[in-house]
Amino acid sequence: MAKTNNKTDAKSMKGTVISTKEGLSKAITDFLKQAFEKNCFDTILIPVKVPANDSYAWVLLKDPALLDDANPLAPIMPVQGGKALSSILKHGVTDSSIAAVIRPCEMKAAIELYKLKQVKLDNITLITMDCPGVLPLKDWFKNPDEGEKKFKDIIKKWDDKDVRPLCQICDKFSVPLNEENATYPDLHFGVLGCSDGTGFVIPGSSKGEEILDTVGLTATKEVDKWESKVNEVTTQKRKKRSEAHKALNKEVGGSKNLPVAFALCINCHNCMRVCPVCYCQHCYFDSEALNKPPEVHLMRAAQKGSLLFKPDCLLFQVGRMSHMTLSCVSCGTCEDACPMSIKVGQVFSMVADQSQDAFNYQAGRSKDVPHPLRVFEDEQELDQVVTMCKDILETGEHK
Amino acid sequence: MSNDFKPNIVGFLCNWCTYAAADLAGQSKFDIKPSINVIRVMCSSRIDPNLVLGAFLWGADGVLVAGCHPGDCHYEKGNFYTRRRFTQMKKVLETLNLDPDRLQLAWVSASEGQRYRDVINAFTDKIKEMGPNPLKPNPAV
Repeated sequence: MAKTNNKTDAKSMKGTVISTKEGLSKAITDFLKQAFEKNCFDTILIPVKVPANDSYAWVLLKDPALLDDANPLAPIMPVQGGKALSSILKHGVTDSSIAAVIRPCEMKAAIELYKLKQVKLDNITLITMDCPGVLPLKDWFKNPDEGEKKFKDIIKKWDDKDVRPLCQICDKFSVPLNEENATYPDLHFGVLGCSDGTGFVIPGSSKGEEILDTVGLTATKEVDKWESKVNEVTTQKRKKRSEAHKALNKEVGGSKNLPVAFALCINCHNCMRVCPVCYCQHCYFDSEALNKPPEVHLMRAAQKGSLLFKPDCLLFQVGRMSHMTLSCVSCGTCEDACPMSIKVGQVFSMVADQSQDAFNYQAGRSKDVPHPLRVFEDEQELDQVVTMCKDILETGEHK
Repeated sequence: MSNDFKPNIVGFLCNWCTYAAADLAGQSKFDIKPSINVIRVMCSSRIDPNLVLGAFLWGADGVLVAGCHPGDCHYEKGNFYTRRRFTQMKKVLETLNLDPDRLQLAWVSASEGQRYRDVINAFTDKIKEMGPNPLKPNPAV
């Protein structure tokens, strides 16, 4: 395993001040152009506006002139960047180095996929930025021009009123500060807490430092202001997140509410297909395993009195939760893709937080912490794991 | 009500330990409550969460996953994986308030016929107390 990302101590983080007078997007593309000229990387993976002007797509750029159409802070997320990266680098690396300009949740997905052996990150420069969230796809397509304006406002005021519900409660919108073992992006663009028209570019690894040195922007400035603002917003968002999850639990929890919450599901499996960490090539739910002979359906109908078709929508949802919530990065792409506007992303993030907690694990936080289902710590397991597996003879009142 | 309620428990038993224990319990003519439908699997780690959830959603009142004691796995470390996967499943049920207590893990080795009897009887009693699976009559599940 080649270590491309060296860990930097959060407390010693340094940055370089850059101008963001024309917006953070412009500042990032300007920086990329400079780095491109100095041969810091050969290709850039970045969201670019499509010719019809109504959407964004991931593009591998070889020609720096095309960076004018690129927008690192696209207002929408039709395809998750981790998934885009994995589709390029699933089957190996090339000699050419790629800079991936992605959002923090996309980077987390990329790291999770790296651990699941679905992407190779050896020759990748990960570049992220403070992320205000993205607009819901459905709102965007009603009026893309207005969406563009609205999003500019959102970046300016850092106001999360109109972004996706999951982005509103996202507490990992920047780099992981004060966390052990966390993997940092090679370069991060921070604007929170900075005075108007300025921002920081912060290296998170020796590779990032080298790039900054080459471009002539050696990081020397303290970034305390940015750090304290990030910490402040993180605390706010965490509080908001736990409140939202509590309310959601009341709404969808329980054997009465859950089937109602997913009653609109049309079994299209869109949520699964767009999910960056749902990586299986052959999914159980697409297989013939659930297509039963008529007798079975008749038997089930007789048992219940009636049976809804297609059946097993709930099995699909809860089954997918048991399969992949340990890797869920709460990016919300599933919710965007749901044609029936089910709160699937929010329910997944709620379950993900709980199940990752049981293993003291955070999806996509670190390259070096292995996925919990791939390791075990012998008899000295995590407390919560053992408590969950407690013996019935010790707890039950069997006479 | 609880008097005529006969729990329907699906038991996924590992071939090497718990299934043999069930066999032993039968041969020893122990008094075991007739509530369990046994499905034999080669290792408890082979159990996909979908099998367990499928059993629940299709109307089982309880699901028992049983295998060799930790450290005694026929495949050396299968049951350690089981334990982690089980925790994950249980956490999903717990978060969604879907009666996580209806899912039970037990370690029963091949020589523990008595323990097998005790586990089954205790789990049956527990499920009896909890009552029938509320998802069973729901036509949308």
